[in-house]
Amino acid sequence: MRKGNQGDRRAAWIAATGAVVLFAVLSFPCNYWLSLTMPRHQAIQLPAMLLIGLALGRVARKVNVKDLSWGLALLLLAMGSLIFWMLPRSIDLAVIHPWFNRIMHVHMVATGFAIAITLRNMPFELKIAFPGMLAGMLIATGASLRAFTILLCSSFTIEQQHETGMWLMLIGVAVFLGTAVFFIRRLGRE
Amino acid sequence: MTAFNPEDRGRHKKLILTWSITFLVLFPLLIVLGLLMRMNQGEVIKVDNATFYSYMTLHGLGMAGVLFSMAWAAVFYLVGTRYVKLNIGLGYAVFLLVVIGSVGLAVATLIGKFAAGWYMLYPLPFIGATWKAWTTGLAIISLIIMGVAWLIGCLHVVYALSREYGGFTNLIGWQYLGKKPPEKELPPLALIATISLVPGILAFIAGAAMLVMYLLQHLEPSLSFDALVQKNLMFFFGHTLVNITMYCGVGWLYTLLPEFTGREWKLNKLTVYAWNATFFFIVFAYFHHLYMDFVQPTGLQIAGQLASYFSAIPATAVTMFGVIAQLYRSKVKWGVIPTAFLLGVAGWAIGGFAAVVDSTISINKVLHNTLWVPAHFHTYMLMGVVLLILAFLYYLGSTEKNRDLSPKAGFGFWLFVAGAYGFLLMFYLGGMESIPRRFSEYASSGIAHTHDTGALLAKVAALFVALVLIGLLMMYGALFNGLLKKDQAPAK
Repeated sequence: MRKGNQGDRRAAWIAATGAVVLFAVLSFPCNYWLSLTMPRHQAIQLPAMLLIGLALGRVARKVNVKDLSWGLALLLLAMGSLIFWMLPRSIDLAVIHPWFNRIMHVHMVATGFAIAITLRNMPFELKIAFPGMLAGMLIATGASLRAFTILLCSSFTIEQQHETGMWLMLIGVAVFLGTAVFFIRRLGRE
Repeated sequence: MTAFNPEDRGRHKKLILTWSITFLVLFPLLIVLGLLMRMNQGEVIKVDNATFYSYMTLHGLGMAGVLFSMAWAAVFYLVGTRYVKLNIGLGYAVFLLVVIGSVGLAVATLIGKFAAGWYMLYPLPFIGATWKAWTTGLAIISLIIMGVAWLIGCLHVVYALSREYGGFTNLIGWQYLGKKPPEKELPPLALIATISLVPGILAFIAGAAMLVMYLLQHLEPSLSFDALVQKNLMFFFGHTLVNITMYCGVGWLYTLLPEFTGREWKLNKLTVYAWNATFFFIVFAYFHHLYMDFVQPTGLQIAGQLASYFSAIPATAVTMFGVIAQLYRSKVKWGVIPTAFLLGVAGWAIGGFAAVVDSTISINKVLHNTLWVPAHFHTYMLMGVVLLILAFLYYLGSTEKNRDLSPKAGFGFWLFVAGAYGFLLMFYLGGMESIPRRFSEYASSGIAHTHDTGALLAKVAALFVALVLIGLLMMYGALFNGLLKKDQAPAK
């Protein structure tokens, strides 16, 4: 038992160190390259930070939000955070000022972390409804970016905007399919 | 086997009473909107176009929302008091969110005159709108709120059932398809609730994506989306919602009718095959709403016709035979509850038949924009879903010893049914006479036959709607008396 705990702890440390290294790599040496085009910024860098946060939250098993009210509040905040970093003004500022971009990175990691430590303790309904609504939002945002003929972010080009839209739609579809698979599997397991 | 204590049942009873009374208050109000529309078409009163279409919007959205919510609540009650423990707090949260959404819709339509119709055909809400922009935003947000509430509510019921009956495949009855008999009997309500609510879950998520796009365009009017995609999403959401409302009602028919006939109604291979066909095809049936859209790929149009047939016919046929088998020589005492069940199933069959006729491409070419369309869905909803809901409400307010109505309420019930069929007949006759649907009045059509016949049928229909309302109000005494009676033993 004790060995198992030690093993878990070691795995957690390795995962956490890996996450910090990955964060540092994506946020510093790769930042210029990732900020060069809109698809890289919105469809690689932002989701990568979110995934780092999710991974960190997954290994931090002792950190938990179990209270439903707090959980709902955190999930709403997380959804709001994701929306905020998809706003054209936020994207522009993030590309122009590296320090602002780094705030985005930290914020996204924190958002992913919050989602992970909250969602695992939430009822099954929220575990489906949250990613389901997130998928809906991503698809809608992607479709909007593709549909817009006006340049939304002055730091990028219209072609990049359309390309980002397509990627966001694909990510949305992937989240939706992932949610559907999780839903069916979870019901099957019960 | 889940054990239920009286306190749990009492809490469930309070929740379902809250839903029931809300339904009983809202339902006649929404009928009044329909009455006003028919009176305007019949030239009995004069309502300006903006008001007429705002009534039409609220009547459509309101009825679809109220009926689905009530159907879900009834399933929640029956599942939660018979098969598995459900979270009452979640039930109240769904109620609260639906009320918030309903108030938002009422404000948007009645005060702001939002009038884009029940399915807000894209890009109608954004082009040449006669209503203020804020009402579009409010209507969209209200629908999103209601959609989230329904999504969570459906997820909860399906998940709880899945835990009790050993997973998803068991819930859709696949254990009945093997050679061995199932280890644990699956109640028909569990099967039908799953088959209804899972497509609903998919539809609500698709609806969320679509409504967020509507919201984005509302916030940024220079945006413009693919109208065909929007229409597909809207009908996947809207058609599925309306369709599963009926199936939820059929679910409690399977559960409650045997209590009156004294015969068990168990699942078997055939029933499972039939309902699984519904489960698979229901998500594609909505394509029949897009026959007029020439840009929709032809393959999908054909798929729409096939899916409409396969999703409706097997489950309907199996249920009809089931009802006949239940009733034939059963010595059932024909009180209001079994009568309402039988008539409700008949309404489902009649409206469903008219719907399947309309989903046939060659016929739809002729009927699509005529009063045949409101005829079939009003039959399905008013004489199908509503009668099943009334049966459920009477059941809820009755005891085993006292399941009859007072003579006055009994007369009210038959007045309601007669008025409803008279009202529906006017729609069907209108369809046969090619009277167009969605016209606020017929004088401006410029065709004498359309005007004269349309206005006459609308006038007669308004009289029948008045009978529907009078009948309903006559039933209310008995209904409220039963529902609000204290110390009544809850349903089994």
